[in-house]
Amino acid sequence: MATITATINLTSPDITGDPLNLSKTSVLNKAATATGLDQFTGITTVVYAAAQTARCIVLADAASGLSGYADTSVAHKVYIKNSSTGSSDFVTVELGGSNVLMGRLYPGDWCFFPYDGTLDIDIDTSAANMKVEYGVFSQSTAS
Amino acid sequence: MATTTATLILSSADVTGHNFSMTQTATLTRAASSTGLDEFTGITSRKYSAAQTDTVVVADSIYVHSGSAVAHKVYIRNTSTGNSDYILVELEGNIIIGRLYPGDWMFIPYGGTLDVQVTTIATNVSIEYGVFSQSTVS
Repeated sequence: MATITATINLTSPDITGDPLNLSKTSVLNKAATATGLDQFTGITTVVYAAAQTARCIVLADAASGLSGYADTSVAHKVYIKNSSTGSSDFVTVELGGSNVLMGRLYPGDWCFFPYDGTLDIDIDTSAANMKVEYGVFSQSTAS
Repeated sequence: MATTTATLILSSADVTGHNFSMTQTATLTRAASSTGLDEFTGITSRKYSAAQTDTVVVADSIYVHSGSAVAHKVYIRNTSTGNSDYILVELEGNIIIGRLYPGDWMFIPYGGTLDVQVTTIATNVSIEYGVFSQSTVS
């Protein structure tokens, strides 16, 4: 199986009275194992000509025959970035059919989070011609 | 305002047919602004002596969210050892985000409208978390 690492570095000289310098690396393994995740979508880059509403970028339903992921006992990971320029055009990240709000990614913002494969991940974009990139690291079968 | 950066590095020699390596750095600014976020909780470390169910780690009542014009960020990591003791991360209302297995971390935008909750399945599961936020809406 593949060996994939994900590192986060959070730094600030002035967000607190002491400098913040946090660095953590995770090896992306299948749920409850020391075996690496075995699937990757690649990084998709899309420029949406028009503003989007509830645009599904990660489809949960494995039974659909279109895509989908093993669910529940899984350690999938999702990456999304707002690759637009400027400061105001945001991507809203939502979960499930009810489009529950996670939060907004402003230009340059990225997110990386675990995904259990039971809810679609949708995005809204606030303007035309916004660029979004995303990808999924996943396990082919549940653990 | 503060200058805070978040860098993501993803790499693998063998998940595709070629080496994959990607680095992305974001400067954490207020919504629709070039001004940095001005609040930070610090990194909280906890070790739960008993399994937890829907324990709130980020309370929405603390954060501004009018119209969700905010650019808060939440960091959570499962600092437990071994392979199996996961932390289930949910938004209030049992909206499942996913499971963090030992060593896994997450970094997400946070709209400030729902609590972020964790559920653990074992005793002595360790977690760390923190929130970067803006004190007023943009």
